[in-house]
Amino acid sequence: MPRRNPASADRRVQRRKERVPRGDAFRCAGCRADVPFHAPGTAHRNHCPQCLTSLHVDRRVPGDRAAGCGGRMEALSLSTRPDGEWLLIHHCLVCGELSANRIAGDDNPLVLLRMAVRPLSDSRVPARAMLVL
Amino acid sequence: MSNTNPPSPSTGSRTETFTCVRCGRTVGAFTPDGLRRNHCPSCLHSRHVHDHVEGGPSECLSRMSPISIAVPRDGDWKVIHRCTRCDELTANRVQVDDNQLILMRLAVRPLAQPPFPLEVFGEL
Ligand SMILES: [Zn+2]
Ligand SMILES: [Zn+2]
Ligand SMILES: [Zn+2]
Ligand SMILES: [Zn+2]
Repeated sequence: MPRRNPASADRRVQRRKERVPRGDAFRCAGCRADVPFHAPGTAHRNHCPQCLTSLHVDRRVPGDRAAGCGGRMEALSLSTRPDGEWLLIHHCLVCGELSANRIAGDDNPLVLLRMAVRPLSDSRVPARAMLVL
Repeated sequence: MSNTNPPSPSTGSRTETFTCVRCGRTVGAFTPDGLRRNHCPSCLHSRHVHDHVEGGPSECLSRMSPISIAVPRDGDWKVIHRCTRCDELTANRVQVDDNQLILMRLAVRPLAQPPFPLEVFGEL
């Protein structure tokens, strides 16, 4: 059975929450969850919505799929675009490369929020800085 | 004598300086604890002088802005820089005399515009 073909693309987008057939999902390298390729609010899913883990497949440009690395990429931090949208910064555990990726509509909010408050809960937070905030 | 590029990692003396491409400050190339700087301690901006994907010097030379602060569970805080021209990303250690207010403002910025209401979470 072909894993992906252009003819199935339309059906994939329409599919709701029924069980995900092989070819429309990938196995997360971080938590082993089966993750559907289709993600609400983005053109293509870049990371696992549960643990935010990604794979190193792009080189310079998101979606170019030019990297031969294939290493596991962990979410390192959050950034914000000028319009306020959150970006996840991933780093590759194999080669160290960084990438910035939009969050998806079904990313686990608790996991995202833990990442957002990490600078505040870190015991090494500069006391001087907290006083002026 | 002042130089407009952040210094290369292997050369230079303790009296070496560079001029920040963002705020214009003349900055000593080394921190008080003797480490070579990658970014301006006042505004945290840097310059794209090294190609981090291919290795070696980069011809880009554009300004790199701080876009995120990474707080690893073990290890030092890092500033994530993004090149304003070619979008390359780098991670660089936060230094002892980096501007703490700018650091924290950057670190908590996502919380100011959460993509979901924070009220539903209660205590974390
Ligand atoms: Zn996962
Ligand atoms: Zn890699
Ligand atoms: Zn500066
Ligand atoms: Zn550049």
